[in-house]
Amino acid sequence: MMMEYKDTQPYAITVGDLVQKGKDHIPEELLSSKHLIYNSPAALAFNSPGAQGFGVKRAGLSIPGSIMLLIGPGCCGRNTTILGEQGGYQDRFYFYILDETDIVTGRHLQKIPQAVAEIVESRREKPSVVMLCMTCVDALLGTDMERVSRKAASVCGVPVVPCYMYALTREGRKPPMVDVRRALYSLLEKQPRHRRTVNLLGFFSPLQDDCELYPILRQTGIKQIQELARCRNFEEYLAMSQANFNLVLHPESWLAAQDMEKRLGIPSITLTRLYQVSQIHRQYMALSRVLGAPIQDESWLEQARQVVEAVRARYSGTTVAIGGMQNGNAYEMALALTRYGFTIKEIYASLSPDDFVYLRHLAQWSPETKVYSNLSPTMLYYEGASHPVDLTIGKDAAWYHETAAHVNWDDDIQPFGYAGVLSLLRHIGLALDERGKNGR
Amino acid sequence: MKGLWKYLSPFAPDQSGAAAVLYGLGGIVVICDAGGCAGNICGFDEPRWFSGKRSAVFSAGLRDMDAILGRDDLLVRKVCAAAETVNAAFVALVGTPVPAVIGTDFKALCRMISRTLNIPALAVPTTGIGYYDDGMQAAYNALLPVLAQPETVVERGRAGVLGAVPLEMASPDEQQALMEILHGEGWKQVILFDCREAYEQAGRNEKNFVVSPAALEGARYLYERFGTPYEVRYLGRPLPEDIRAAVTGKRVLVVHQQVTANAMAEAVRNAGAALVQTAGWFRTESSCIRPGHVQLKEEDDWCQLADNDDFDVILGDIYFKRALSHFHGLYVDVPHFAVSGRY
Repeated sequence: MMMEYKDTQPYAITVGDLVQKGKDHIPEELLSSKHLIYNSPAALAFNSPGAQGFGVKRAGLSIPGSIMLLIGPGCCGRNTTILGEQGGYQDRFYFYILDETDIVTGRHLQKIPQAVAEIVESRREKPSVVMLCMTCVDALLGTDMERVSRKAASVCGVPVVPCYMYALTREGRKPPMVDVRRALYSLLEKQPRHRRTVNLLGFFSPLQDDCELYPILRQTGIKQIQELARCRNFEEYLAMSQANFNLVLHPESWLAAQDMEKRLGIPSITLTRLYQVSQIHRQYMALSRVLGAPIQDESWLEQARQVVEAVRARYSGTTVAIGGMQNGNAYEMALALTRYGFTIKEIYASLSPDDFVYLRHLAQWSPETKVYSNLSPTMLYYEGASHPVDLTIGKDAAWYHETAAHVNWDDDIQPFGYAGVLSLLRHIGLALDERGKNGR
Repeated sequence: MKGLWKYLSPFAPDQSGAAAVLYGLGGIVVICDAGGCAGNICGFDEPRWFSGKRSAVFSAGLRDMDAILGRDDLLVRKVCAAAETVNAAFVALVGTPVPAVIGTDFKALCRMISRTLNIPALAVPTTGIGYYDDGMQAAYNALLPVLAQPETVVERGRAGVLGAVPLEMASPDEQQALMEILHGEGWKQVILFDCREAYEQAGRNEKNFVVSPAALEGARYLYERFGTPYEVRYLGRPLPEDIRAAVTGKRVLVVHQQVTANAMAEAVRNAGAALVQTAGWFRTESSCIRPGHVQLKEEDDWCQLADNDDFDVILGDIYFKRALSHFHGLYVDVPHFAVSGRY
């Protein structure tokens, strides 16, 4: 039977009203820690990241040749079935399934080294590293998994690294996706740094091949650009500690960068993924100043401007809904697309005080844009059909507006810089043209 | 090694079974977790979640400080806030490893919620350690006494079916097939216990059919309270003819939940199999267990039983085959959603 509702409206607030309230007064309906979390089919990647995109499990296997032993009650490994089947990880996951006696007595801690040894022995090729994935149970038990890992490594002769799938700490100082990035680089050991080598930190997949960041870095004299996802083997991974500096491309990499600076002496520079062409240019100019080397980005800038103008001429006024489940910051993307002539009707995304830097500008251009939280229980009532849009960006937005043109924009390969803008606008054009052909 | 699984991923846990029984009954279902358990339930173990038929299944969104400080009042406030917008008939709290470890007092939580909202609040204290059938059984045990209304009138031709949740199904249309079978036998109304009214009016059923061992206790409860007779019965699709032909004279192993395994074993025996053995990971009921049934607990148990050529044919979810590199016979896929998460 369908639910009966006391109210028929999902919670939403306009960008104008949000900015008026200010970043210190974000409505509780938009803060997931303040209410029950609705598992909208649109937003499952939030609560079940293992099933979609990169959660701790998949991310933890980013080191070439690594395998993972997940330690927890059976429920914690359940969705790994689909990851194994569809993601090509079938022979890289192992489980130590805790029973009540393990949890009460902690006896599993004695058995993990033996389990790791048995797994390593059962494989034709020795893994490069064994990741031990811990869950909420060991978080609550206060398990010293570093110590268990050291013991396991001494037994099996392979590096063993703990990583933490503690959803309990999602809004804490070191959320799981922040800490797993730190764990991934924790095997790097100090070695002489190469002046013309840089690491790109942030993603578990590489940047798009045509990203201008690669030639731009070469302009500054960089010879070697290293990314975890492009490491073909463990040796290439270990060579990442030779970098002169790290470029942090995703905010969740701050802890990894900090740790690498402390342990390996590698400093970092942060670049933000942006879709506003003018801001991308400014960011490259700022990078040029920091590196003390000239950056010539005019050709890419000009090309991006031309494409933006063409898009503006063709699609101006197109109504758009932007979700949070895509490769970008929904608010920054909304600001960029508004500037390119689109009309952003709705945004469904988590909101943090940091987003107000974009919201303040968006409020000037599009104050009536509505902001929803995918996770609010009131989203049970959301009916996209009653306020249709022409285009959606993000899988969540697509779920709400079935008949719109869709750009999922959630590929593993990461868009960045001018190339990211061009790709996004190309996909938007293709989706809208396809929808036009279908007469909708 | 005990506890170590090298080939198979864990099966649907108890909280998924509980949520499957509670799905769509018009209550607020709160998975008392940090987020991942609810995500797994909705995203993986509940195919109805994507059907467009909405159900108020929420995660409590527990955080480390909730666990450390035991902030039950915050959870109650969150539930009450959600109830302001959802016109719920009841609230159901479903346990996960977090409340199991910190020793959440579900009874107290239910009392606080019920008193504030003036609707029934019930708890299914699952732990994430058990399998889905434990959770299903616990959910039936919690729901029936709360929802079933006193009934004196039995409706002739009204049959109830307990246990027919997607986790137990081999195909998306199995519920429809099951109804067709019972309608074909002359039952005018077939009640699948997938809406609140089915529970409220459970005493009206002339008979209940039990398709999962997880529902047997529920059927017994209804028998004791209303005198409703019940029958444990497989109501799925029959074994295809080509499989019947393939098992003649062969040594056959059937691995599934017990009601299905028994039915398959009987069909295989009737088809002339030389030897029929059943095995299973899930609940066994002594009243309907087959002689020689093997209860599996560890992955090693499965490998020891089947990763060889002791059997010519194995009937079971194809997912189990991943652990059988030394089995060279015929493997017949009998899907079980609770195992592989697919039909």
